[in-house]
Amino acid sequence: MSLRKVAVVGAGMTKFVRRALETGKELSWQATSMALESCELTMDDIEGVCLGTAPDSFDGVHMKGEYLSDGAGAWRKPYMRSYVGGGTGVFVPIQGWYHVASGMFDVVLVIAEEKMSSYYPHAQGAFLTIFDHTTERPLKPNLLWIFALEMNRYMQTYGISKKDIAQVAVKNKRNAADHPCALLGDRNITVEDVLNSEVLAWPVNRLDVSPVSDGAVALVLAAEHVAKRITDKPVWIEGVGWNLDTAYWTNRDLAYPRYVEYAARMAYDMAGIKEPRKQINIVEPYDPFDYKELHHLEGLLLADRGQAPQLVADGVTLRDGDMPVCPSGGLLGVGNPIAAAGLMKVAELYWQLRGEAGARQVPGQPKRGLAQAWGDLMQVGTVVIMGR
Amino acid sequence: MTLLKRDPNAPSAWRDEMQVTSRYTFGIAGERFFRAIKDDQQILGSHCNNCERTYVPAAAFCERCMNQLDEWVDVGTVGEVVTFTHLYVNYDGSQREEPETVAFIKLGDGGLIHRLVSSGSHPVEIGMPAKAIFKPSSEREGSILDIVHFELITN
Repeated sequence: MSLRKVAVVGAGMTKFVRRALETGKELSWQATSMALESCELTMDDIEGVCLGTAPDSFDGVHMKGEYLSDGAGAWRKPYMRSYVGGGTGVFVPIQGWYHVASGMFDVVLVIAEEKMSSYYPHAQGAFLTIFDHTTERPLKPNLLWIFALEMNRYMQTYGISKKDIAQVAVKNKRNAADHPCALLGDRNITVEDVLNSEVLAWPVNRLDVSPVSDGAVALVLAAEHVAKRITDKPVWIEGVGWNLDTAYWTNRDLAYPRYVEYAARMAYDMAGIKEPRKQINIVEPYDPFDYKELHHLEGLLLADRGQAPQLVADGVTLRDGDMPVCPSGGLLGVGNPIAAAGLMKVAELYWQLRGEAGARQVPGQPKRGLAQAWGDLMQVGTVVIMGR
Repeated sequence: MTLLKRDPNAPSAWRDEMQVTSRYTFGIAGERFFRAIKDDQQILGSHCNNCERTYVPAAAFCERCMNQLDEWVDVGTVGEVVTFTHLYVNYDGSQREEPETVAFIKLGDGGLIHRLVSSGSHPVEIGMPAKAIFKPSSEREGSILDIVHFELITN
């Protein structure tokens, strides 16, 4: 099968905030307008629209794809919502990619939205609705304790301490201090601050976790012949991958995300990458919890198993390190409006690879980046590799 | 078998509840739209000069061209019945003694779905005018229910 080259040619992003005045439709419209404006296109140029948004329960309205369609610019256009939970934000550009790569569309709008503040008293309550009603829900599970179980297993398997892991939260929240859309940027945060924050579900403390947020992000994707007319600096989608593991917690390896590895291998193969540690210059792995960044770096084959904390300790993952990780500030710092947060990572690669990331710009004119998200029932990996 | 009658041969089942409570923001356009209903008994639309359409309820943006909409217009409180239905069954599936009528009332290029009553004996017909009846100002709280119903204009 011959696939066409696809580029990202525009991007827009709202601020990520605790509770937005704007409705989800209005947030979507703002991001869409910014993305169109960034590449001087109008809705007349857009041939199809791909929307990503996570569980319906967050916004408090069912069939969110339909609800958000006007803000997403879907009026009288081919339109589709994709949903793989937390993995959605990096899956929706993949969906946009195959719309264009297939030859069916030349220009596609990709948009991701989440308004998590609607759920009351806390967005965690929404997750109760995702678990099996007979075997799990009677125990009232929430994501905090589900994550805590996985984090503990990861720590035990490789002898990793909470302090090793807290460094990730510090790095990302410090990076986010340079992001104009960030909710929790903090230039002065320390490892002690993280370790001393309240325990939510041991070993998870409050500052190990990304904040509930509202926000939207949009990208414009174009086929090669159109992209070159729109911009001098197209950023190419070089590889995509996605993979699903068993939905049973009890049936998979909690210390190592095999499904992320498979998604990464699919993307590396497509991009022709043989040595990811040398060929990937910037990484935006999914970091809803600080240990997840480490977990994912290992699954992405960018660190040996159990060795990701050492990369952080050695400064390799700092913005000016050899392999910058979450130079955006990640979910921990910028915020975590679920689907929008994943697409924010892809937008970050776009800005970084064009040299337009401002105070967040990683030095050395990076050539290639990788964004990854994770979610669904905590067993999906989605990966996008972009280069210039 | 009526709506609420259960099949005695159905498989055994158990019940659970998922408590879902949401707090919604009105949004940029909604803040102004509902404030006009609450404070002024006015129904507002927003006009797109590019697409020549007036959105009701007022929207912050045009869904066709994505332009920001800054031109707000009072579309009045009388609209046209575009279509209607008579409801004979309650929300919980039980039978109503008297049917309730809901209608799509056209205002601007959009309109509202709302309850419709006829104070006289004239039956509801598509194309008839209907007027919004508001709660007293002391009881209005910025809700679509600040409009009690639309009333058919028969004369």
